Amino acid sequence: MKSVVLATVFLTCVVFASAQLQCAQKKPNIPTDWIDMASPCVKKMRGQIQEELKASMQYLAMGAYFSRDTVNRPGFAKMFFQSASEERDHAIKLISYLLMRGELTRDISHMIKKNLVVPKTEWATGVEALKDALNLEATVTKKIRDVIKTCEDPKDSSNFNDYHLVDYLTGDFLEEQYHGQKEIASKISNLDKLMDKHGALGEFLFDKKISGGE
Amino acid sequence: MRAFLIFTVFLAAASAEHCYKEIEKACDPTSNKADSTPINCNAKYGAIDGVQSALQKYVNDHIERSFEYLLMSTHYANYEKSREGFEKLFRGFSDSKWNTAIDLIKYITKRGGQMRFPEIDSEISSNEDYEMYELQSLAKSLDIEKTLAVEAHNIHGLAARRRNEFHDPEISSFIEEKFVHKQADDIRALSGHVADLTKLLDGRDSSLSLYLFDEYLQKL
Ligand SMILES: [Fe+2]
Repeated sequence: MKSVVLATVFLTCVVFASAQLQCAQKKPNIPTDWIDMASPCVKKMRGQIQEELKASMQYLAMGAYFSRDTVNRPGFAKMFFQSASEERDHAIKLISYLLMRGELTRDISHMIKKNLVVPKTEWATGVEALKDALNLEATVTKKIRDVIKTCEDPKDSSNFNDYHLVDYLTGDFLEEQYHGQKEIASKISNLDKLMDKHGALGEFLFDKKISGGE
Repeated sequence: MRAFLIFTVFLAAASAEHCYKEIEKACDPTSNKADSTPINCNAKYGAIDGVQSALQKYVNDHIERSFEYLLMSTHYANYEKSREGFEKLFRGFSDSKWNTAIDLIKYITKRGGQMRFPEIDSEISSNEDYEMYELQSLAKSLDIEKTLAVEAHNIHGLAARRRNEFHDPEISSFIEEKFVHKQADDIRALSGHVADLTKLLDGRDSSLSLYLFDEYLQKL
């Protein structure tokens, strides 16, 4: 019994001793009236961060496939690796926006799923990968539209129409989606036509063309 | 012993002539197309097969770490924490892990290998917390960097063995050049931060110390 008491006293001292570093600080007292986003909208935005990262991983897998020695399409690989980093940048832009609006002060540890599984890792042709990319972008566009809908009319007690975010998503994100989609569609068109009569040669030449950044 | 010698000679011959023989067969008008597709005309040589899975894992670890650092940097950018220096430090780590992952994928394919991404959807285990106090986050970061550095040593060790299927000076030199020195720099810098902040927080008022330390990090 005595030793238990002694041990407890000792432990308490250790806890006190190690607590001498002032690691924690008091929580600042900041008015919160300026934080006005509706929670259904915040939830959608958080979900969209994950969607952008998922797209990023899919592009990463495309880049990895077209880099293979026996596939040898450096132009395609370069383009897809670039897209992967762009999607990651989109996720970061969404995070920055939420921070600017006073969000993400808590519960962010699980906001990103670390181990994102890539659904597809091999493609028969460059055209096939481009078609997948176009479909992926179309899905992302639809999801951004969903975010916009919720943030325009969150259907909760707040009834808060988030003009600024809706404008940002429309003017910035949708703008990029539609331009990007047209660009991929044009690439598919050109390559598909080449492949019709000149399969291997068509893809070879097209790859060299896009690796020059054209 | 003799069998071993013959085997070794065969291996050497294989890497020296395999592709050419396959192409000869593929070009022969009398051979049938289905069984004459060349399979050994690739970039593989040395020990890439023995080291590939370790390199793949290293890529996936970098991607995971880049997401962890992104969360840590996000935490410091919220208006309550408002620590731009810490935000910048961890965002820099997140970016560099991400870019390193891409470079490593390129490297694996340069050596004739393939990238493999994780196949199981594993959630972050629920006790993982990236919303830490300043000193804790530096400590966490120091641990992460050391883990990655030791992993680089292990890959180097794999590629530096004397057995042929593991001996590959090109891989070990790549690991040295691109990883181990930079990792030593990062680890040294972080351990310095931890030492400084530990001293700074050992007093009565930590708020000014943290404010000034954050300003210092912003300027790095
Ligand atoms: Fe995107």
